Amino acid sequence: MDLMLFAPEISLVVTGLAVLLIGLFIPTDSKKILGYLAALGVLVALFFTVSSLGTEATAFNDTVSIDALSQFFKIVFLVVALLFTISGIKYTEGNSHTEEFFTLGLFATIGMMFVASANDLMVLFVGFELASLATYALAGFEKKNAKSLEAAMKYFIIGSLSAALMLLGISYVYGATGTTSIPGIAANASVLVGSPMGLVAVVLLMAGFGFKIALVPFHMWAPDTYQGSPSVVSALLAAGSKKMGIVAALKVFVVALIALQAEWQTAFAILAVITMTYGNMVALKQTSVKRMLAYSSLAQAGYITMAFVVLTPMALGGGIFYALSHGFMKAGAFIATAAVTYMVLSENKDSTDPDHIDNFRGLGKRMPVTALSMTVFVFALAGIPLTAGYMSKFILFSSTIQSGFVWLAIIAILNSAISLGYYAKIVKYMYFLPTDSEKVSEPLPYTVAMIIAVIGVLAIGFWSEPVVYWAMEAAKVLVGGM
Amino acid sequence: MMPILSMIVLIPLIFAALALFTKTKEQARVIALAGTVIVLLLTVYMYVNFDSTIADNQFEELAQWVPSLGITYHLGVDGIAMPLILLNAIVLPFLVLFTWNDERKSPNRFYACILATEGAVIGVFTALDFFLFYIFWELTLVPLFFMVSIWGGPNKHKAAIKFFIYTHVASLVMLLGIFGLYFAAWDMTGTPTLDIPTLISQFQFIESGAAKDMIFLALLFGFIVKIPSFPFHSWQPDAYTEAPTAGSVLFVMLKIGGYGLFKVMLPMLPFTASPNLMITIMAVLGSVSVLYGAFLALSQKDLKRMVAYSSVSHMGYVTLGAAGLVSLSVSGAMFQQFSHGLIMSVMFMSCGIIKNTTGTRIINDLGGLAQKMPKLAVIMVMTFMASLGLPGLSGFIAEVSVLAGSFVNLPSYVMIAVSAIVITAAYHLWALQRAMFGVYNEKLGTVTDIDTFQTVSMGVIAILVLYFGLNPSPVLEMMLTNSDQIVSLMAVMGV
Repeated sequence: MDLMLFAPEISLVVTGLAVLLIGLFIPTDSKKILGYLAALGVLVALFFTVSSLGTEATAFNDTVSIDALSQFFKIVFLVVALLFTISGIKYTEGNSHTEEFFTLGLFATIGMMFVASANDLMVLFVGFELASLATYALAGFEKKNAKSLEAAMKYFIIGSLSAALMLLGISYVYGATGTTSIPGIAANASVLVGSPMGLVAVVLLMAGFGFKIALVPFHMWAPDTYQGSPSVVSALLAAGSKKMGIVAALKVFVVALIALQAEWQTAFAILAVITMTYGNMVALKQTSVKRMLAYSSLAQAGYITMAFVVLTPMALGGGIFYALSHGFMKAGAFIATAAVTYMVLSENKDSTDPDHIDNFRGLGKRMPVTALSMTVFVFALAGIPLTAGYMSKFILFSSTIQSGFVWLAIIAILNSAISLGYYAKIVKYMYFLPTDSEKVSEPLPYTVAMIIAVIGVLAIGFWSEPVVYWAMEAAKVLVGGM
Repeated sequence: MMPILSMIVLIPLIFAALALFTKTKEQARVIALAGTVIVLLLTVYMYVNFDSTIADNQFEELAQWVPSLGITYHLGVDGIAMPLILLNAIVLPFLVLFTWNDERKSPNRFYACILATEGAVIGVFTALDFFLFYIFWELTLVPLFFMVSIWGGPNKHKAAIKFFIYTHVASLVMLLGIFGLYFAAWDMTGTPTLDIPTLISQFQFIESGAAKDMIFLALLFGFIVKIPSFPFHSWQPDAYTEAPTAGSVLFVMLKIGGYGLFKVMLPMLPFTASPNLMITIMAVLGSVSVLYGAFLALSQKDLKRMVAYSSVSHMGYVTLGAAGLVSLSVSGAMFQQFSHGLIMSVMFMSCGIIKNTTGTRIINDLGGLAQKMPKLAVIMVMTFMASLGLPGLSGFIAEVSVLAGSFVNLPSYVMIAVSAIVITAAYHLWALQRAMFGVYNEKLGTVTDIDTFQTVSMGVIAILVLYFGLNPSPVLEMMLTNSDQIVSLMAVMGV
């Protein structure tokens, strides 16, 4: 077995442990260096992952597979981790627990990466839990902030419940097919077809993943958690952790349980429609930007879920493409919110709702780079042409029409027209509402992270060919199992 | 050869970005003038080198963009697009001159909006790939939305939102039609393409008649909302009236709906499952728009709103002429778009001036303005006459060709449209009589005539109205070439 296959994971583990260890011995003032170290580790991992695109291999007795799908999603997670660590440099400034913040973030990323390359349900579950445990702690990182603790608590309880459901679902599948290997299940899944056991397994697994992806009605925790957690962590949750749920669901449903398609396809269609409609409708009336982004994140998950309904290579490729675009757009938007929060808190330490939309008034004058980046992110989320969001919707929605699900495409298109309402509201506050506050200096790490995300959003939107190619290759991995 | 089409699309967009970074009105307007003049010069160069005897796309540029989805960067112009690009290129520098001395908030964004609209509209006219076409199509919405919502009248927010949502939803329906066409062609040929000429030529091979009709109607809906045609016109009077003068002129320049009708719809029409039904739909929409728009214009109290409704009426001729399906009516309809753009831009400029100098646009509160504003009166009377179809001015040629041409195939619908002529004359003359002539209304206080910049900009466009009225062939020739080609397709299919 070639250890180079795991170079990305290894570099993250080494960096994570190094950060933790070094953090013990240096004073709080100089802990900034840990953030740079973490970002460097992520960059190295990203380099190894990108250079290994196109490699196909399995390892550890076929429990882990390296293919276009796993590498594509690893890139998604690493991109989010990069934005997370860079903006974390500013967020953790002067915090004595800096090393824990970065180590947890890196370990969560490793967990997500193992889910992406899992070829066995046990590996998938362990990766899932590794990522989840690390993010539970991150959500409650502000130990003295009641909202942050509430967020962590809710996330932990619901997350544990969903893990239990998932595990139970896995045990049913294992009981019936006698294996936890994903290709093995796919080969034997016919025994589950039409049996009540299969139905129970599908329901349990769907609920388990539904919680992670935050599909309505399993979404209750998401708005509270995204709002309460530090914005930088929300970026990791919405942009990274949610994608982990999606890649896991792709592997379990589209590869392993494709034989039970009849049982889950319609259910996903209903979930997709409810999730996107509910998310957009509720987002319309939010006054907290973070909560609005949380609901918009529900809506986006609803769009991506359409791929589970359509199931053509193009739709799956579109969903996978969407995952990458969403990683950039959503992480960027949360980081922009983090920058605003930082500004508000530095002006007034006791501000109770730093993410209220009123704080975005006149942002175009006060924080020009943040405002411009935020504009790019929300326009991309709304699907304005020449951004990553447009290209994603173009592929996903058009493939939906191609497969004859015209009604689904129309609902999705109407939804994205509605979503423009609240995205435009943010832009209106930033550029058209007056403010008497002064211009403030923008924190550099946030700015760097936002600029990277902006470049990503525009580059994917404009120079889409390589990303489309690899997304389609990743989809072929899934469809190969059909 | 230089990529001239990319240049006329990108230069306004680049200058728009430049204008955003200017600090003062003086800098912004110079940038705007420079950008629009460069586009005008390039367009004139293109016009001179344009071969009006062939119906093919010229000055083509083609590059791969996203090959795995069949998306290309494909630009080209034919006799349908060339006159409309010319129209935009001619009017916009004069629009900038017209606004030269105005005082308004954030002039940098104002001129950036003007330039961005020009780039996006020309982009629609040059795009030969549906992906690109749709991007430019949607891009036109953004600057116009801001134009209305920032510098508009008292009800600007409502008008801007209504315009945006109405036309955005229509574009999404059009997008569904594009998807339908894209996948139907993909299934048949096995290779994806969004190339407009290729997709149009493959439309006829789609097997399912119902699919063909659905695609056709979805695209048609997107286009006629933009024109706008009855009964989807209700966004238009609000948007045109609430927009600032420059915004109204930009709306008038937005001939993308009619362009789509000629460029995309008519070549597909004979191959739909029920062409006669489609012709009837277009003829009904067109002729009712002509009559209904005229009646609505007659009942308006606000001069600008009257002009806005008269625009609905005049654009009805475009739809009707397209449905007429003989070379004369189709080219007449194309010419109507060109002529209407020139006439309406001066009419909206006149409305803007009257509002600025007297503080009102209510026709009955005006009166005798001609005594105090003789220069405005001359130009205004000339364009009102052109608008009501006086022979010798460009509006006459367009409308007479549409009516005479369409009479061959659609006599009863032409009769509906003809009956509107009297009403059209009535509201134009009545408005002129009440606003400009008669006894001067002393309540208006002292008013001054238009300044040099305004005189020049409106005067030149008015002279062009006269010129194209006497000698339409510089643009009509290329329109005829393309309409001959469209109509010959119909003849082959026996429609």
